[in-house]
Amino acid sequence: MAQVELKGVSKRYGSVEVIRDLDLVVEDGSFTVLVGPSGCGKSTLLRMVAGLETVSDGTLEIAGQKANDLDPVARGVAMVFQNYALYPHMTVARNIGFALKIAGNDKAEVEARVRQAADVLQITHLLERKPANLSGGQRQRVAIGRAIVRNPQVFLFDEPLSNLDAELRVSMRVELARLHQQIKATMLYVTHDQTEAMTLADKIVVMRDGKIEQTGTPEQLYGDPNNSFVAGFIGSPRMNFLPAQAEGGKLRLVSGVELPCPPALAGPVSVGIRPEHMVPQDGRTHSLPVTIDMVEYLGGTRYLYGRLADEAPVAVEARERVDIRPGETIDVTFNDRDVMLFDASGTRIRSATHNS
Amino acid sequence: MVGRAPIWIIFVVGIVGCLWIIPIIGIVATSLQTTDSIARGWWHFGENEFSLQAWYTVWQTYPLAGSLWVSIKITLAATALTMVTAPAAAYVFHYLRFPMRRLWLIIIINAFVLPQQVVIIPLFQLWREVGLLDNMAAVVIPFVGLSYAWAVFLIKSFLEDFPKELIEAARIDGCGPIRTFTQVVLPNLISPIAACGILQFLWCWNTLLLPMLFLRSDISLTVLLARIAGTYDPNLDQQAVAAIVTALIPLAIFLLFQKQFAAGNRVSSGGKE
Ligand SMILES: Nc1ncnc2c1ncn2[C@@H]1O[C@H](COP(=O)(O)OP(=O)(O)OP(=O)(O)O)[C@@H](O)[C@H]1O
Ligand SMILES: [Mg+2]
Repeated sequence: MAQVELKGVSKRYGSVEVIRDLDLVVEDGSFTVLVGPSGCGKSTLLRMVAGLETVSDGTLEIAGQKANDLDPVARGVAMVFQNYALYPHMTVARNIGFALKIAGNDKAEVEARVRQAADVLQITHLLERKPANLSGGQRQRVAIGRAIVRNPQVFLFDEPLSNLDAELRVSMRVELARLHQQIKATMLYVTHDQTEAMTLADKIVVMRDGKIEQTGTPEQLYGDPNNSFVAGFIGSPRMNFLPAQAEGGKLRLVSGVELPCPPALAGPVSVGIRPEHMVPQDGRTHSLPVTIDMVEYLGGTRYLYGRLADEAPVAVEARERVDIRPGETIDVTFNDRDVMLFDASGTRIRSATHNS
Repeated sequence: MVGRAPIWIIFVVGIVGCLWIIPIIGIVATSLQTTDSIARGWWHFGENEFSLQAWYTVWQTYPLAGSLWVSIKITLAATALTMVTAPAAAYVFHYLRFPMRRLWLIIIINAFVLPQQVVIIPLFQLWREVGLLDNMAAVVIPFVGLSYAWAVFLIKSFLEDFPKELIEAARIDGCGPIRTFTQVVLPNLISPIAACGILQFLWCWNTLLLPMLFLRSDISLTVLLARIAGTYDPNLDQQAVAAIVTALIPLAIFLLFQKQFAAGNRVSSGGKE
């Protein structure tokens, strides 16, 4: 097993810097998930660890050994690609056993290990088929089989489930979690999917523009984000940001609502409240009128999307069975302790009055 | 979904087909008729006399079997060499990075615009110098060399669509460039390579200029055909015989591999597209 460590790593394509001076430790045996907007460099980072891209600057260490110039095989990593990258001319068994064969294992050994991997993934009955004759989910299993058969120290996944339909994605997600429990290898996983990140990760790394914005457990990132980018990126629907003016220990929101704030604070700030902390019921400290534009019904809960008096968009979660229609204006309430403050540059303002 | 073709399409295709088949019937008929009958027109089937005289004469007077064998040897050698080396070159140019890569590629592809006639004189001098004249290699080498222009281009353009992930997966699985080529790329290039092979075969088989200049004793079929046509006798029947023999092999090749011409066989890495 192995820890992956990046120290001051940069990646440049010509004059474009895609990864900038990035430090990251992926602990041994952890399931670390990279998230971030499209084009922020997640795949590039993953591919540098895999050895498919060179490292422009800095040090990449795998299992305590400098790996900048090692061949992909010598790094002991396996990668699962988004579009599976199965060899179309080989059967499933040969796809899975290919790396072992290249490494010079004898036939019986290869066969035994392919069978073992196939058992883990329940694809034994597919071994003689060609990839073209498999469903998306089956192909994904084969791709994972191809990775686990080598007993790699590090698994790299680049959006492995994004080509699957919703239902399959959920079941594969559960299986990946189980697989991680079972083989306890280090996993580095790139995804766009909130739920995947939250459910699978021991640690989430939020990236933007080639830099890390924040790392932490899903709970930490959700409950205690460092800035408005992370706060907005983690959680769905995203956090509401309401513009406010700080003055003399008071925050003035639209519609005359006032919140307490640190006395030193002055000027424009942004008030962040998650949709589940804004509810259309009474009984909370503050209340804002919201004009509802759209209601999204999800069975157990429903999300109400609307506008404040100053047109700022807000999302509200309604758990109770309330009959609210688009066009209505309702009072939405929230508590002080559920409010996060961000300054004009987006940095979180932590203070004693609010949760920290 | 395969629908039923309307009647008029069958009709039109039928007429076009007939137009195409008439010259073939004509040439076969010519080879089987006496000189007088040919003078009257091969389509007077009622009055014309048939004979195997022309076939017999050609077989007797000219080294038909020998030439057939020479043609087969030259063409097979040139085709096989192209089929092996052109994909390798295309792979190298497409996936590997080395100094002056673009320049080399441009030089090779530009042979496209180079007509055979241009290379003939320097080549002739070269072959005379190294003593390759009247040797099969004198023809096979330029055949292969001249084919690179389009063969490398054709296979390289196929590689443009080749999924990059497969190459990367092979790298992670531990393949070096050579194994990636032989185990992952080559098995998925079957159809463009076959197409290259067929085109190269037909081109080599039908080329007259190079074998005519570089071969003396063992001549190819096309050269033989030219010789028969070059005599002053009224020997249309004999020319027809030589033409049929010359055309037979390419026709067989075409019939055998016609499926490969219907390209459109893209390699996918398995994603749902
Ligand atoms: N070969 C290349 N040459 C130049 N720029 C590149 C190259 N490969 C990637 N980039 C740039 O690097 C940046 C990061 O790309 P990367 O693929 O890592 O993004 P990503 O975070 O994986 O995005 P996505 O979520 O859409 O997959 C992008 O802006 C991209 O345009
Ligand atoms: Mg990506």
